[in-house]
Amino acid sequence: MLRVENIHAGYGSSEVLHGVSLKVEAGKIVALIGANGAGKTTTMRAISGMIKPTQGRIILNNQEVQGYDGAAIARLGLAHSPEGRKVFGPLSVEDNLLLGAYSRLPALFGFRKHAAAELNRIYELFPRLHERKNQVAGTLSGGEQQMLSIGRALMAQPKVMLLDEPSMGLAPVLVQEVFKIIRQLKAAGITLLLVEQFARSALEVADYVYVMEHGKIVLEGLPSEMNKNERVLAAYLG
Amino acid sequence: MLTDFSIITQLTLSGALMGLVYTLIAYGFQLTYATSKSINFGQGELVMLSAFFSLSLIDRGLPFAVVVMGGLLFGTALGLVVERTAVRLALEQKNEGWILLTVIFGLLGFSVAENLYGRDDRPFPTPISADAISIFNISITPLEISIALGVLTIMGIIELFKRRTLLGKAFAAVSADRDAAELMGISATRIIMLSYGLSGMVAAMAGMLVAPITTVGPTMAAALILKAFAVAVVAGLNSGMGIILTGLFLGALESLASFYIGSGWREAPGLILLILALALRPNGIFGHAVSRKV
Repeated sequence: MLRVENIHAGYGSSEVLHGVSLKVEAGKIVALIGANGAGKTTTMRAISGMIKPTQGRIILNNQEVQGYDGAAIARLGLAHSPEGRKVFGPLSVEDNLLLGAYSRLPALFGFRKHAAAELNRIYELFPRLHERKNQVAGTLSGGEQQMLSIGRALMAQPKVMLLDEPSMGLAPVLVQEVFKIIRQLKAAGITLLLVEQFARSALEVADYVYVMEHGKIVLEGLPSEMNKNERVLAAYLG
Repeated sequence: MLTDFSIITQLTLSGALMGLVYTLIAYGFQLTYATSKSINFGQGELVMLSAFFSLSLIDRGLPFAVVVMGGLLFGTALGLVVERTAVRLALEQKNEGWILLTVIFGLLGFSVAENLYGRDDRPFPTPISADAISIFNISITPLEISIALGVLTIMGIIELFKRRTLLGKAFAAVSADRDAAELMGISATRIIMLSYGLSGMVAAMAGMLVAPITTVGPTMAAALILKAFAVAVVAGLNSGMGIILTGLFLGALESLASFYIGSGWREAPGLILLILALALRPNGIFGHAVSRKV
């Protein structure tokens, strides 16, 4: 579904990714773990077109998309819940969700009707968002904003979803909540690339794991293998 | 008999109605500032060129409704041209080149108008009457009423579009977080382009509304644009209600100043207000601070 082949990318003249390759198959959850500054978020940003890779290929659903604008990649079925959530602060919760489905809704009239079914599904998944649907997103708590960011990405009915640090800055009980949601999404058959600091939780939900260090993939395998790998144990699961 | 009170009311009212034109032009600044943090410094020339264009439609004997539609379309097209030629590249390169480029575009528009239409001011015939009607001892012309109606109608329609349609909400999304908007499949470039189109449309509307009063000439918008800047800056570049109130207030103030102090002082209140606002509340009286990400 998503294939990243040997991409190099960075900011300005400083290269952060030195040839990253990974693969996410349809219906699988793939976790990308690694220390701070390893290049996990940059990998995500390169995939969704927020930065342009200088080398390498990104293949989404059999189509090469490297060099495309973020908006064009999103319209091809990739949804990215970015680091820091990036909800639209001045807009209502419901408007945030509706905008998540922007690329498949009519632009002027009747978009609410088109989005109703999906909107209800999101509200069932996140009852909290339903309670606060008319509230301005900027006033939500961190956990609620995270739910909104995930919900907004799901509204697109994406073929592939990128989820960057969903637990960042959340209280432990909310982290558990987030992973409960991820397990629900897994049961529903979502294709997901997950970046996570909480490596242990990530290994529990993932079907396959990549470990990043200094802008490169240094290790990959099944979660069961990672759990036994001494290097991973020492660095991330200690 | 006119009492002092009714003179003041009279001056305030007709000044305030004129002030709504400043509001409308300031609204054009807000439209593009919201999406791109840039404004067209040649906006006055857009007002003027659109007025000339609709005047040339009137000269051809076209019905007034066609003239208005034609003028609005022309203004929209000019707005799109400004975005494409003067703004887009600078924004892509994340520099402030749009400032100089839009100023240059304005100068270009000015000399085009001078060469095409000459330097003389020309009357702008309109079917709306300039004969005063009297309500409660206050005289008001249908022309003045048409300004208020025109301004509020076009602003109302655009605000409805922005609040009620998904495309309109996408404006707010780009304004709030351009990167996140891109992730939703919203092309920020296209939204910015549209906002410049709307801004041009609004400028054309302002041109056609004031033209019957100010007449049409290359310099018709020079003073107008300065006061629209004053309104936008005093109210803040992100407050819709603020520019309406500030526009009304500034218009009334000008009219009172020119009557009581002398017509030479007409422009003074706006400039003093601008200086005070910049010194005391750089984000505008109604505005809120916008943090700039680099």
